[in-house]
Amino acid sequence: MQRRSLKNYTLRYLVVAILAIIGVWAAAFYLVVIEEVYDNIDDGLKDSRHRIISEAGSDPEILNTGEFGITQFKITGLPGAHHDTKTQIYNSELYLPQQDDKTSVRILETIFKNGRQYYRLEIYTSTVEEDDLLEDLLIALAALYVALVVSIVMLNHFILRKAWKPFYKILDKLGGYRLGSSRKFDRSDPRIIEFNNLEEALEAMMERNETIYSRQKQFIENASHELQTPLAIAANKLELLMENEQLTEDQLHKIEEVNNTLHRLKRINKSLLTISKIENKQFQTTETICFNVLLTQLLEEYASLVQFKEIRITLEDRGTFEVNMNRDLATVLVSNLLKNAIVHSGKGRLVEISIAPGSFLIKNEGDSPLNTALIFERFHKGGQNEHSTGLGLSIVQSICNLYDNILLKYDFRNGHCFEIIMHKPV
Amino acid sequence: MKVLVIEDESELQGVIRDALSKEGYLTETAGNFDQALDKIISYEYDCILLDIMLPGGSGLELLSEIKKSNKKQAVIIISAKDSVEDKVSGLDMGADDYLTKPFHLAELNARVKSAIRRQNQHGDHKLHWRNIILDPDNRTVFINQEEISLNRKEFDLLYYFITNPERLINKTSIAEYVWGDYMEQASSLDFVYSQIKNLRKKLTAAGADGDIQSVYGVGYKIS
Repeated sequence: MQRRSLKNYTLRYLVVAILAIIGVWAAAFYLVVIEEVYDNIDDGLKDSRHRIISEAGSDPEILNTGEFGITQFKITGLPGAHHDTKTQIYNSELYLPQQDDKTSVRILETIFKNGRQYYRLEIYTSTVEEDDLLEDLLIALAALYVALVVSIVMLNHFILRKAWKPFYKILDKLGGYRLGSSRKFDRSDPRIIEFNNLEEALEAMMERNETIYSRQKQFIENASHELQTPLAIAANKLELLMENEQLTEDQLHKIEEVNNTLHRLKRINKSLLTISKIENKQFQTTETICFNVLLTQLLEEYASLVQFKEIRITLEDRGTFEVNMNRDLATVLVSNLLKNAIVHSGKGRLVEISIAPGSFLIKNEGDSPLNTALIFERFHKGGQNEHSTGLGLSIVQSICNLYDNILLKYDFRNGHCFEIIMHKPV
Repeated sequence: MKVLVIEDESELQGVIRDALSKEGYLTETAGNFDQALDKIISYEYDCILLDIMLPGGSGLELLSEIKKSNKKQAVIIISAKDSVEDKVSGLDMGADDYLTKPFHLAELNARVKSAIRRQNQHGDHKLHWRNIILDPDNRTVFINQEEISLNRKEFDLLYYFITNPERLINKTSIAEYVWGDYMEQASSLDFVYSQIKNLRKKLTAAGADGDIQSVYGVGYKIS
């Protein structure tokens, strides 16, 4: 569907509508004017007829005007005893020698009686002005139309621009609006009632949404919090139980299974709490974090795991990557990405890391691209690993979303590339 | 050794008390702010486990009360709140450690032990178990007075076992204590096994009087 601006949209209809209105009006006006013109001409012709007939009574010489000359009438004698003395007026064309051309004329034809003789009297008057009139009228109308359209375009432009200014302001503010950003929607109180209503409605809607959103966030956080203590009690009781010397191996294994399940629950809960805290902006303090240093520390943490899984890690250091952010979150960010690469790498696989100013990239081998719509979804799992919480990459994305200066990207280039790039704020 | 457990959740209070009693601590409990304040003022403990959110008041208030009393007692905050601010303010106010719920009992043991050890300023900070001596300050290990070299993770592992001697420690607890949150998958348990195997080799080679044994594949125990 082709979309137009409000201005063009209204203009298109206005131009067509004005054309139609002017057309109809022109036709009507033309008819009225022509009617009036003919009425005038006819009155003139009738007046001439009257004068010629009465003149003929006193000066019979006139009766001999057999041709249209300078007199604009001719009189033809009619044989016969009786004729109807009727009058008709019609349009015709006449060759006039003075103009050496045919010209449109209006002719009055009548029969009159002078003495005993009947005569036909034909009077003409040139109607060439009528065509001129029509032409002038059309030109005038076209000029009017153009003038109207131009002024409407201009008015439309200025009035709409002025009238819709608050609307675009509101639109602008809405574009920059983020749910949960706690930034208030500042009213500009436009003088136009509709826009004022719009602002009011928007403000009310946002407030409602904010309340629901924060309640929901609060709920997740509270729920996760409240779960901690019962989880602790259950897990700790199992630990105490496991120390019982009288347990058989089978019983111990059963308890361990319950313990593992509980452990998984603890981890999911903890991850949810972390996401919830990130989104509630509870990691306020920021400092300049050098990812190179952080990565070196974390690689050391993972060294024995990497060695155990026989994964090869290559590090290409092309400069320092520094970001102003919270230290704990930076650690979580890098370690989750690193962990993701290590976990999804089989024995002997290669993990490539490269750092450059403005870019931090971790790549692990893989055969086919991941579904970008799903990888950052909460609880989405690649399938193979039932022990993963499915929250690791969600946390990574939550962290990147929290900061305007970094951006998380995934592509598939003969492997899964997760890249954090510096994002220049616009 | 006397430990005071300030925790309003009676079930958790019970588990902690049982676990610490097993370690030979004399354990007392307090379930609310007033009870806790009463005990803090009246008695002296080697270590106080302090929950932040208590009926009747904040654990942080109790903490400043404890610090005012000038008694030499270690304070470990146990809280469901894992927020950085809480941790920082707790530690700033003089708490010795901060443990987030839920925790493993073995970890609690280790923390209590090291908090008490640090509190004892003039005494011997080294941990002794049979012929193994662990020096947490310098991160060195001696077996029969001979120093053996362990990497960082192996040291942490041994420390965890020495602070929980003769007790079954399950694998997830070990993985969490030594490798923290980094460990999150099934293979981590094989990984723990391989790390313990390495540590065992070193201990046996140095002639340690004791060995880390696998208990039916669910955990490990030093004995």
